[in-house]
Amino acid sequence: MKALFLGNVAADTANGIRAELPPDLDVEVVAEPRELTPQSAATADILVTNIWRKDYPGAPRVRFVQSVATGIELIDLTALPRGAPVCNAFGHETAIAEYVLMVMLVWAHRFREIESGFRTHGSWAPSWVQSGAPHGEIRGQTVGIVGVGRVGIEVAKRAAAFGCRIVGANRSPREPSYGVERVYPLAELDRMLPECDVVVLATALGPGTEGLIDAHRLALMKPTALLVNIARGTIIDEEAAYAALRDRRIGGAALDVWWQYPTADEPQRRGSRLPFHELPNVIMTPHNSGWTAGMVRRRWDEIADNLGRFVRGDPLVNIVTTT
Amino acid sequence: MRALFLGGFAASQVEWIAPALESGIETEIAADDCDRRQVAAALEVADIVISEAWRQGLPAAPRLKLLQLPVAGTDRVDVAALPRGVTVCNAFGHEAAMAEYIVMAMLVWFHRYFDIALGFRGGSWQDSGVTGGPLHRELGGHTVGLVGLGHVGRETAVRAAALGCRVLAANRSLGDPPAEVEQMFALAELDRMLPLCDVVAVCVGLAPETRGLIDARRLALMKRDALLVNVGRGLVVDEDALFAALRDRKIGGAALDTWYQYPSREEPDIRPSRHPFHEMPNVIMTPHCSAWTDGMARRRGADAARNIDRFVRGETLRHIVART
Repeated sequence: MKALFLGNVAADTANGIRAELPPDLDVEVVAEPRELTPQSAATADILVTNIWRKDYPGAPRVRFVQSVATGIELIDLTALPRGAPVCNAFGHETAIAEYVLMVMLVWAHRFREIESGFRTHGSWAPSWVQSGAPHGEIRGQTVGIVGVGRVGIEVAKRAAAFGCRIVGANRSPREPSYGVERVYPLAELDRMLPECDVVVLATALGPGTEGLIDAHRLALMKPTALLVNIARGTIIDEEAAYAALRDRRIGGAALDVWWQYPTADEPQRRGSRLPFHELPNVIMTPHNSGWTAGMVRRRWDEIADNLGRFVRGDPLVNIVTTT
Repeated sequence: MRALFLGGFAASQVEWIAPALESGIETEIAADDCDRRQVAAALEVADIVISEAWRQGLPAAPRLKLLQLPVAGTDRVDVAALPRGVTVCNAFGHEAAMAEYIVMAMLVWFHRYFDIALGFRGGSWQDSGVTGGPLHRELGGHTVGLVGLGHVGRETAVRAAALGCRVLAANRSLGDPPAEVEQMFALAELDRMLPLCDVVAVCVGLAPETRGLIDARRLALMKRDALLVNVGRGLVVDEDALFAALRDRKIGGAALDTWYQYPSREEPDIRPSRHPFHEMPNVIMTPHCSAWTDGMARRRGADAARNIDRFVRGETLRHIVART
């Protein structure tokens, strides 16, 4: 049996977990998808990757697809043999939940401006010794989590310890727990948004969530609210968000996920065709909120475990769908 | 009975304290623009003074019974210069803000947030997961050592524990530690705690036994990649030793909100140390503002007002720090 690890993330995974894999499993690593040969594709029983496209060589023997990421939107399921289970990988909840708390704090405390003003210009203006204007804090804020899944729950647990009030919206009904006071059905998101000082997008991208945060919903948010997106860029309407931020109809945004990504031809491509990087009320990071050593270790363990299960014929975990 | 807000800082706190006062007490304000004669006249009749400072050479205050600090820090009060029969009380409400600051600084440090955000704003994807960039670290799972387990330390412990940190604490008095603190050390045993910590957070006030507490020898006991956070008072950490340890990478970094030099009218933009901490890439620095939030001002103003009301009604005072 052969597992094909395709793409640079999968290649790192192969290196990290090789010793934990069943000895009778053949492992082939192709770090650069453009170098995938028909021979390599044709002999793969298991595909470990975050990407598969229609124009790749045929892979008729694939019976199991293990994603190295949580989102599987870059894997074209219709270009793979039918009937193969597709599993995703987690392990990023801790890292992303920490990121969400961090950007909430940095935003409320105006940490970046104050630090940079003090370092660069020696400005004591925000200090109590100069009786400067106070900044904010997150205690007492209402945090609305869109998508009360694994990441959303970890955010809720942490925010509760900071004295935040937490509400959520979720596609499937959920009992309030982990400090979440109330969970709205996603269809009633419009009722939740006006309550929130922070709106955290932690939902998967799908037909029901693409463009979910549009001009209408941005207008329902408080004019001081912070919008945090650690899910997928296109859950937010790009132009509507840019306009709302530019015109200060919401307070700010912390964006880790984007509408466009660098390519081999355009490695410096901006995350949006609009100049979010010129807006002072945007906290921006390059899709790395979950990109921690702890995440990688936990994710590798999950993937190694699942490959072992498949080889032994045991039930798989984290099945998202079937090709 | 009359209460006097004395000095520019106290004057700036009137908006938070006065509305919270329930006893119908007369208040007067003597800000920094008052001359000595005006201050003397106001002190002559004041039963209560609200000020963060008291020093030698102030005009006589014959009726003074309560010096209510609008802050927690008592290091600007010269108790020996007060008339006899005065009770000095401080005020709290800053602990949530400072605990947030400590956790924020730790998160920013572990996640390399400032570097990553700056690079990406400039257009670089080099730190991205999608390009296989370098990984950063999580705070969860690391050990945080609190030097001082007072109001701020306790609030920090709750938050750090919720983030999955192991929390240790060293304190002058050993009481029952909160459930979030795994192990308590006497301050005299600080040397045993320091080598265990990925983060050492200084949240004690300045006192004879804490001045210079974190000196060259103790910095050398810390892990080489440890972060030192100081929201207590600058002088708790030895200035020269800290600068040398950061420059020579004997510790990982520092997040500093309290300092060695402060601005004055003559030098409003004075650097906070005689050493160039601002040139160090492993320093996160803010101008003594960790507690300076709107929520803190509201809570602390209300706390001070409640104590003034207690005094007026003859009830037991809280947060007593000295009696003369």
